[in-house]
Amino acid sequence: MYFRVTKNHINAIKAANPYLILSTVTAFVIGLYYALIQSPPDYIQGDSMRIMYIHVPSAWFALMCYTILAGSSVLWFITRNPTFNLVARSIAQIGMMFTVLSLVTGSIWGKPTWGVWWVWDARLTSMLLLFFLYLAYIFLWQAIANKDIASKISAALAIIGFINIPIIKFSVDWWNTLHQPPSISKLSAPSIDVSMMLPLSIMTLASLLFLITVFFIRFRIEVLDNKILRVGDEI
Amino acid sequence: MKELRIEDLNCYRGSHLVLKRLNFSINSGETLLVRGDNGSGKTTLLRALSNYIRSYEGNIYFDELKTKEDHKYKNKFTFIGQKNSLKDNLSVKKNLKLWEFLYNRKISPIEILSEFNLSQLIDDDVSSLSDGQRKCISIQKLRFSESMLWFLDEPFVFLDEKNSKILMKKIENFNKKNGIVIVTTNIDLGLKFQKEINLNV
Amino acid sequence: MYNLILRDLYLALYSSANFFYTSSFFILILVLLPFIFGTSIDQLQLLFKGILWIGLSLSIILTMERIFNTDYEDGSLDIILQKNSSLEIIVISKYISHWVVYCLPLFIILPLLSLLFYLNTSDVFAIFLNLLLGSFGMIFIATFVSALTLAAKRTIFLKAIIMIPLFVPFVIFGSGDNSWLILLALSMLSFVVSIYVSTYGLRLYGES
Repeated sequence: MYFRVTKNHINAIKAANPYLILSTVTAFVIGLYYALIQSPPDYIQGDSMRIMYIHVPSAWFALMCYTILAGSSVLWFITRNPTFNLVARSIAQIGMMFTVLSLVTGSIWGKPTWGVWWVWDARLTSMLLLFFLYLAYIFLWQAIANKDIASKISAALAIIGFINIPIIKFSVDWWNTLHQPPSISKLSAPSIDVSMMLPLSIMTLASLLFLITVFFIRFRIEVLDNKILRVGDEI
Repeated sequence: MKELRIEDLNCYRGSHLVLKRLNFSINSGETLLVRGDNGSGKTTLLRALSNYIRSYEGNIYFDELKTKEDHKYKNKFTFIGQKNSLKDNLSVKKNLKLWEFLYNRKISPIEILSEFNLSQLIDDDVSSLSDGQRKCISIQKLRFSESMLWFLDEPFVFLDEKNSKILMKKIENFNKKNGIVIVTTNIDLGLKFQKEINLNV
Repeated sequence: MYNLILRDLYLALYSSANFFYTSSFFILILVLLPFIFGTSIDQLQLLFKGILWIGLSLSIILTMERIFNTDYEDGSLDIILQKNSSLEIIVISKYISHWVVYCLPLFIILPLLSLLFYLNTSDVFAIFLNLLLGSFGMIFIATFVSALTLAAKRTIFLKAIIMIPLFVPFVIFGSGDNSWLILLALSMLSFVVSIYVSTYGLRLYGES
């Protein structure tokens, strides 16, 4: 027998919800205080670089969410445990949100830094494609009426997307070396000063807490929506 | 004497159970009429019998072999679904040519069409045919394979009285040659068959 | 297998002028080029290669529903599944017939097109090779997306959103120079994935 979500789990998630929200808000308040007030401005980019404290964690978690999405899809194929399917679906929308957030903050950051809203560099372009991978996953799920079939097909798509990501990364890097935009001087990866490490860590923690909070809310909705508790476990 | 037998068949559509503990058996030369309202699982039953749906619980035996495991079962049945397998933009003749390739068997179009007196339609586009005429042509897919079992999903829908009689005659002749037929319907046709089950609870 | 391929070829032949549709589509897309960018030879040569890849992607996206979806909707797929001995054979037949009907015409008119855009023979050969290897991979991808999305009816844009990120590597390496080995590798990889995923999609079909 495999692990099943029970009424107790759902109640525990519900009970933990206010605490999670509280700790997320607290972490964001502390993190933003350090990021916006305590830490010094960058000596080249000035205050505009402070958006990094949102941008970098979002980009990390956008990728992490897809990894979880693909991982739980694989586990679902192996074990056929519907819980993994629900995990995958709950994480997809959060991942898409982080992807959008990192694209938007990236482009806001780009305006004062590069003078344009968008540069065709490898990372931004791959991120944009990642957004469409999430979009396809979510819409495919909605397009299929038979949800049993839909979960199988979207799980397969998630795994294909996961195979595709490194290939896209590889090919976009290759493309980028060919078509280096000449007028824009690219910044080398900045070495991060200790004074920036602290706010970045706190903001990462805050984003992680936010991810967990939203994940549990979504997970609970998915469980209730799909009535996977039907086996002798009514709510 | 061959027998098609279903034991404790449970079948899901999505997450709800449409066929629940279904049991029946039919012998060579018999026809079973499956009755039931819309959504009662008639099509699901035929698709499970035709191995398109394989995720059912319970067993289906034909000639004492489990149909799921018998590799030769593929050639033992003909399934006529509610979809006509006709390409709308092509003429009847071209559609029949495509069927020849699909079934790997050559039959002259006139021979197929004359049974329901449709020979004059041979060059017409399928899109200009009435639903009843399409249904008649679709039923003639039975001519393309020599099978022991016919699974006919709502074959009488759209058919007029004359064509219904032709189809009835066809089924009776097939029964005489020891063929087994399963026919579904959702309305009372006033037709008599050897066996009848009702999927409505 | 031969019967299924023949059937698809006949279907294409009967649906009159399918061969001509794809080639005309291509020529017309290329005809737009000088209208948009003017007639400067250097610029046209530069754009020609790019537009070829866009044209190829578009024609595969536009026709991908004819691989499995149309047969699914009219019920022919029932017969195909019943009368063929294995799903792999069905999938491979579909690769062949779809490539012949919707990609081959492009390669027949390509030499002619390159005359219109003043390309020399060696350039044409390089483009031809890249396009050929890329078209295989893209057909493999279109086939598995078609098989996988049988249950999602009339959603060609969704299918395009699924396919285009998968086409990206092909387009990148295809428009590069001396990258045919990478394209070959990509096509082989997509073949492996495609066979597996397409048969999985067809297996689910019965229950959709």
